Amino acid sequence: MTPGILLAVAGICLVAGIAVALRFARAWLCLTLAGCAAALGACAWVLAGGGTWELKTAFPVGGEALRLQFDGLSAFFMALISVLGGAGAAYAREYWPDSRHPHSAATGRAWWSLMLLCMGAVLVAANGLQFLVAWELFTVSAYFLITRERQRREVRAAGWLYLAASHAGTLCLFGFFALLAARTGSWALGPMRGQPELAPLFWLVLAGFGVKAGFFPLHIWLPSAHATAPSHVSAILSGAAIKMGIYGIVRFGGWLPVPAAAGWTVAAVGAASAVLGVAFALAQHDLKRLLAYHSVENIGIILLGVGFGLVAARTQAPWGQFALAGGLLHIWNHGLFKALLFLGAGSVLHATGTREMSRLGGLWQKMPWTAACFGLGAAAIAGLPPLNGFVSEWLVYLGFFDAVSARGTAAWAAIPGAVLLAVTGALALACFVKVCGVVFLGLPRSAAAERAHENGRWMRAPMLALGAACVAIGLAPLFFWPAVARATEVWGPARADAGCPASLGILGAANVAIAAVALLGAAALWRRVRRNGLRRAVTWDCGYAAPTARMQYTAGSFAATITEWFEWILCRERTARPPEGLFPRSAGRREHTPETVLDRMVRPAAAGVMAVSAAARRLQHGRLQAYILYVVLALAALGLLAAAGGVR
Amino acid sequence: MTADLNLLAVMEGASRLVACLLLAPLLPGIINKVKAWVAGRRGPPVAQLYYDLARLWRKGVVLSTAVSPAHVAGPAVAWVALVAAAVLLPAGSGAALSFQGDALLFIYLLALARFATAIAALDTGSAFEGMGAAREVSYAVLAEAALITALLALAVHSGSVSLASMLVPSAGAGSALLAAGLFTVLLAENCRVPFDDPNTHLELTMIHEAMVLDHSGPPLAAILHGAALKLLLFSVLLTEAVLPIGKLEPLPAAAALAGGVLATAVGAGLVESLLARFAFRRVPLLLTTAFLLCLFALLAAWKGGGL
Repeated sequence: MTPGILLAVAGICLVAGIAVALRFARAWLCLTLAGCAAALGACAWVLAGGGTWELKTAFPVGGEALRLQFDGLSAFFMALISVLGGAGAAYAREYWPDSRHPHSAATGRAWWSLMLLCMGAVLVAANGLQFLVAWELFTVSAYFLITRERQRREVRAAGWLYLAASHAGTLCLFGFFALLAARTGSWALGPMRGQPELAPLFWLVLAGFGVKAGFFPLHIWLPSAHATAPSHVSAILSGAAIKMGIYGIVRFGGWLPVPAAAGWTVAAVGAASAVLGVAFALAQHDLKRLLAYHSVENIGIILLGVGFGLVAARTQAPWGQFALAGGLLHIWNHGLFKALLFLGAGSVLHATGTREMSRLGGLWQKMPWTAACFGLGAAAIAGLPPLNGFVSEWLVYLGFFDAVSARGTAAWAAIPGAVLLAVTGALALACFVKVCGVVFLGLPRSAAAERAHENGRWMRAPMLALGAACVAIGLAPLFFWPAVARATEVWGPARADAGCPASLGILGAANVAIAAVALLGAAALWRRVRRNGLRRAVTWDCGYAAPTARMQYTAGSFAATITEWFEWILCRERTARPPEGLFPRSAGRREHTPETVLDRMVRPAAAGVMAVSAAARRLQHGRLQAYILYVVLALAALGLLAAAGGVR
Repeated sequence: MTADLNLLAVMEGASRLVACLLLAPLLPGIINKVKAWVAGRRGPPVAQLYYDLARLWRKGVVLSTAVSPAHVAGPAVAWVALVAAAVLLPAGSGAALSFQGDALLFIYLLALARFATAIAALDTGSAFEGMGAAREVSYAVLAEAALITALLALAVHSGSVSLASMLVPSAGAGSALLAAGLFTVLLAENCRVPFDDPNTHLELTMIHEAMVLDHSGPPLAAILHGAALKLLLFSVLLTEAVLPIGKLEPLPAAAALAGGVLATAVGAGLVESLLARFAFRRVPLLLTTAFLLCLFALLAAWKGGGL
């Protein structure tokens, strides 16, 4: 079978899935899983074997002949989408069942299939118009997935913000494709690096796809949408949907000539997203909102790699390949561990009914599987060896260090790049120590957390699968390298091919050794503890007689030192009721971190626009006399102008 | 550069690692001896930590009722990560395992150890341990920035990303700056005065010791040995960054390395005797200074034009 047939099978399965989604949940799940498996097969075919699958028909879609193209880069992204699409579909069976959500579950399944289908269509589209149609359908189906619980006000607000932001981005894309078609005379997409006059269009690409990718400061829609969507939707939004923005930037950064400043801009935006994303994440108290800000951070890391790839492509420097490969591999890695974390957060939400971290705690006792999977994902996202996050960050670092050693102009950017990446890594570690500690360890902080229960196998299996994928990429990076190499190869600008870094295999072996020895060490230590004798007692609390769960360190206190460093951008709002009198009855302290860009910049600007529009609207009130007055005034003004200018 | 996997190299690497593991507990002993001398006391024997480790290894364990398996797994993972870092760090000429980019693995192994220790600390649900873990991961942000800058300086100077080649020459013009920066990072990462006080018994003022309050028996032994090993790693890194040890003959190299590590330990002891612990709000300031020192070392290496 060729990739074409597999893709057709995948498409047919998904379309059939839409047809049966409303009535037959089980058939839908089978069809979706089959479709995802077929698509994954097609991706494996192209990524392992190479080559590009193309389809040119005379069949018109949107007034243009249908043209499809499936190359290494498309396959790279589609592989991620199929894995997460399948995992999310299986997870939803238990997480969002018909019994608890009689209406929204069924329609949600249909939108899920449609979104997967449209994301696939975006990846294979080779015609500007068809790309736009698929893109718009994908955006809208994501909106309906986000707003599954439309009866809640915050969900409606988040959905509206998402829709507005997405369409601002789509507007840029309309401009981009229209200008592209006007300058090239055709809607067909493909490599056109020989036309330097197209270079300025890259800025439209960056803005348009940047909104979807959610880098700082275009991320305003991302936290609330990810936080309020059902968790399997958050998982695919964060894991795959925002990667479509990256796909656009990478795709058109490769196909079109780019301006000289493009690489620097992308890298700078990436660095800002990485550091600020994790800073905002540290200040959150809502588990899913925190994970959403980590998406901003990881998009930043990806863009750091891609940006340096673009910079290096101009000078044919070999180190750029490492940075680019690291950035691309991080797309997979982030997709895997972030989806895992969102599914874990969904399990917590499902079991306790709250996303508020200060109400959780000690969940490992009730939900050991979820806790273990979440812990694995946390270690992976913090970039710790021997897991996958480390491998991609290591590749990006390698690009930076080689750039610094090469001592070009790029070295001046690579030095802050490497330092900021290290700072980001350390901050992410701090943040995930906080999350794991507050949510899963210690003692339950509320009755809801005490009543938690482990979830069934339909929710556990996808998490285990994603966790296994994280471990696999960490332990056997060489096995996955050909896929990354294929994607960088078709990416574009011809340049010196640096090949696989020779030490990647050794890194993989070192990771295997570390993992094995760590497991052995833990087992040996546990055996020793058992042999020496084991006694249980309450946690030592400085001799205090009656420790309670509320005396535990909170998420806010844990992050306080770091969030203070970022106070200049976090702009936290605090209200406090200090204890008063000799025997104070009550006291309280509330802290809230607003979305600074949205609340301090976009909202005031929007309010200004609304004020001006409202004032302008007053001119139109339906009173005929006033309209006649406008006409007279306009005529008089014209007459004055003519008189002043002198009529010839 | 590929890993050399012949038998002799493996034997040499293994013996080096064993020496590392065996000698590490000496360093805290030396520091304590220096502190005792300065204070005019006799102090505990240099080998005190060996006795402690042996005693702890045989002792029973009291576990909190709140803890998960991570409480025991954490110290084990942290210890393994530090041992793996020791494998990567060259002692004299050539490390047991060396490849392009191992310097980054080294840094991230330290991060893994930090993650495991902090998770094990939070596992108890104790506010004190939460405090310690929060301080540890917060200050590590700045320490890691300084450390990566130091490695960038070495990479610029040697044109390599492999510790074995990066540490062969001395750091050149910026040596003094780099030494000062790395020494500050060493004090911070190993919980010495002025960042932390390893002797205090007041939890509110501690970082590392607060994190291990609830550990006992063999897990505590793993933590203490890991801490000593980390101190040794940083001392070796500092010594090799400053002295061109890789260019010497094996015997003088070993002597120079031992001398450098000893000097570092004595230096840490003297700092501990002569300085008081800083208030926590001044810690970031000092770590930023360390970062700037490493940054200037990087600029000096850049200007120095490499080898």
